Amino acid sequence: MSLFDRINEASDSGRHRKAWFGLVCIVFVSLIVVPSVFVVSKIFTDWALVEGVLGDPGTASVIQGAIANSFSIALIVTVLDILVGIPMAWIMVRKQFRGKRYLDTAMDMPLAFPTAVLGISVVMFWGAPEGIDVPGLGLSLSPYVMVLLLHLIFTYPYMVRSLSAILEQIEPNYETAAMTLSASRFTAVRTITLPLFRAGLVTGFILCFARSLSETGGTYIALKMLGFQSSFFTGPTFINNAKSMLGADAAMGPLILISVLMIVLALALLVAARVLMARFKIPVSRVWPRLGRRLSRGAVPKAKDAFSVAFLVAVILIPSFYIFAFLTRPIADIDYGALAGAIGTSFLVAGAAVAFDIAFGIPMALYIARNRGALAGKILDELVNVPLIIPTTALGFSLALFWTSIYDGGSSAVVLAMVILGHISFTYPLVVRNIIGAVEEVDASYEEVAMTLGAKPFQAFTDVLAPIIKSSVIAGAILAFTRSLGETGATSSISTAVDTVPVYIMKLVNGRMYSEAAMCSIILIMICFVLIFAVRAVLGRGARDA
Amino acid sequence: MPEIVLDGLVKRYGSCRAADGLSLEIRDGEYLCILGPTGSGKTTCLRMICGLTRPDGGRVLFDGRDATRDPVSARSATMLSQSYSLFPPKTVHENVMFSPKIKEWPEEEAKQVVKSMIGMVHMESKAESYPRELSGGQQQRTALARALASDSEILLLDEPLRALDARLRLELRKELRSMVKEMGLTAIHVTHDQDEALEMADRIAVIRGGRIIQVGTPMDVFRDPATPFVANFVGRSNIFSGRKTGESGGASEIEVSGAGGAVATVRARASDIPIGGAAAVAVKIGATAMAGSGGDGPGYFPGKVARVLYEGATITVEADTPFGAVSAKLPDRMYEDYSEGMEVSIGWRPEDASVFGTPPERLEEELRLD
Repeated sequence: MSLFDRINEASDSGRHRKAWFGLVCIVFVSLIVVPSVFVVSKIFTDWALVEGVLGDPGTASVIQGAIANSFSIALIVTVLDILVGIPMAWIMVRKQFRGKRYLDTAMDMPLAFPTAVLGISVVMFWGAPEGIDVPGLGLSLSPYVMVLLLHLIFTYPYMVRSLSAILEQIEPNYETAAMTLSASRFTAVRTITLPLFRAGLVTGFILCFARSLSETGGTYIALKMLGFQSSFFTGPTFINNAKSMLGADAAMGPLILISVLMIVLALALLVAARVLMARFKIPVSRVWPRLGRRLSRGAVPKAKDAFSVAFLVAVILIPSFYIFAFLTRPIADIDYGALAGAIGTSFLVAGAAVAFDIAFGIPMALYIARNRGALAGKILDELVNVPLIIPTTALGFSLALFWTSIYDGGSSAVVLAMVILGHISFTYPLVVRNIIGAVEEVDASYEEVAMTLGAKPFQAFTDVLAPIIKSSVIAGAILAFTRSLGETGATSSISTAVDTVPVYIMKLVNGRMYSEAAMCSIILIMICFVLIFAVRAVLGRGARDA
Repeated sequence: MPEIVLDGLVKRYGSCRAADGLSLEIRDGEYLCILGPTGSGKTTCLRMICGLTRPDGGRVLFDGRDATRDPVSARSATMLSQSYSLFPPKTVHENVMFSPKIKEWPEEEAKQVVKSMIGMVHMESKAESYPRELSGGQQQRTALARALASDSEILLLDEPLRALDARLRLELRKELRSMVKEMGLTAIHVTHDQDEALEMADRIAVIRGGRIIQVGTPMDVFRDPATPFVANFVGRSNIFSGRKTGESGGASEIEVSGAGGAVATVRARASDIPIGGAAAVAVKIGATAMAGSGGDGPGYFPGKVARVLYEGATITVEADTPFGAVSAKLPDRMYEDYSEGMEVSIGWRPEDASVFGTPPERLEEELRLD
């Protein structure tokens, strides 16, 4: 009897299905959720260390400053994203124009760039780092503004994507109806369509905020190139810096304190965002018809669209691509052996993480999608978000503490396994979210009919559901893969010994080898591009099939 | 070949009872329609038969064997859903091939069966098409072929004609029934459309509030309804409530009371309601006579024509009476005989009127279409 047949037979029994699902839940909780927040327990077991930090006004104020920077930057970036993202989502969904396809692709580009690369590119564009002189653009910016500009780039696509996804579901009929009832377009959109956006706003808000809060590599590189790496901190760069400068043991107190603060605040924020956004209502009771009409006609809408596109080009796209300017300079002599090794490590980590995500993510996603009403479904649905919102650097630190507290062998294979587990933690939600979305689109009656035709539950999944959701699973997997490829913070906070490409680039920057770093970045971007185009090809085909 | 017995099935969703002691026997090779209004528990009943929903209480028996806890795939009860659920990435041929493949039939035999099923539903020319390329009727026929190719002995049809155009729906009724009969299947067909049930079923089971309230041949259910609800749901009825005053010539006499203290004595079938007991009378609108002034014979009470609706082969005349609005379905050639405001006399043959012991205060609740 083949393995397939065995699984198939077993799937007919409700007890076996429950057992398998229970196993998936246990794996999820014990490998992902608990290690991610383990560090919080340290506050109780190692209070003395933390107390020591609190008693040291110098360190305490640096930590306080880093946390304040992290959260205020994340908030400002997210609000800016919403303001410029709404008109852009409108252009992408409701407008038809030539070249829209290219704009759509360009929008996804920053997602394909590892943030470490963006760090270099953005500083080159906006600032005047040592080694490269950009005539006319050597603006003198504070590190705070620079980090803000950097974070805008990689959060903006998330916001526009979440908003577009919702806008696509909102029928234009509502607006048309309002307009035939003689509302101006501005008033129709403001009072009818915008309130329907709430769900998209919450998702976009959480995604952007979490992404900004998590980002380590790019921010660290930008600060390093500007020379602020040991005077200006965000939460993650503080962890990164403390670990590499002092070593994990010496900096244990501050590391625990800042990780716990980041995790607790981020989770509190997730809850607050849910609650507030559910309560928050876009004011619609008052209308200003004359103002609405004036804003809906003539130059105002055109100016709005022009501004949206200009913002995309000037603030997002050009700074991202500016790194290619390096190609005009003499090609730097890079250590291809080390780079190839780093690429190999990156692919190994990302591949292993994504394989795990798919194997354990599909059952979880199926359960959540089909049991939305049940309490267990709701709880899991929220738990899956937890590793997404926790800053990856804090997550990595927590995870390393958890596993070394169980087994402190320290061999390189063990360290690599820990890095893979870390990458699983923050990519798992991406894969699961994608599959949940896909499964929810599919009517449960397909599987039910298949079963009444004699298929056992596992066959109903492999023969009927899997082909339908295939393209979403692949898309989710490639998204997770690129995210893993670009991650710096989680890797470096688990171990400084595992050189993935972004970590390798960060080390080059640390050694002031900017040209080499840029060249490696360009190679990494190329790899990511190939992947992102693969997503689009798969998705495109999926769209034609459906 | 299976005989299906549902024995006291109970299923609750929160405070709502989708099945509330549901008992029903389905005979071997029978075409049974479960007829009921929306939310009466029809679909839940089907899902419990094929195992997609597990009852909270009661048993499902196949040929006397308890199958309540059997997995779905082991029941050979195939569902044909109202959205057809043709698998989108598979062609018509692959869809029909689904069950033979799953059940690992010998390849030649499988091909033979699939071919003959596709032929039976006249889909040969579309065998390589994908579901999205098919019209509603073609999708319906493909889904049927797929269900028939499964070797199942029980076919469960969940409003199988609902999503079709009105005209096609009428045509497919006969076709569907004759194919099921030809294959010798036991079919359970859920619908809220009484005409569909009357035309297609060997027997009809009327369901309401998760209970079967009457089972019988279409003629039984239509002519001799068990409750006022059935009288009104399976073919519209005029319903009056009053008190039984006597019995004569094989018919009961019932004094109905209406607005403003009006009373009239009407005649209906004999019944065992005691003299003086509460009684409700139901007369199908097709059996109600409305005689114009100078018409044939005196009716039970007078009325005034409020509307005349032309429906093609028939007309419906609605009259206001002291006992509420009364409708009569008449042949269309009588269209000219009625006009708004005309005085009419309303009557019927006593053997066409059913009598129930339902007291007036419960009548409205009884007739509610949920």
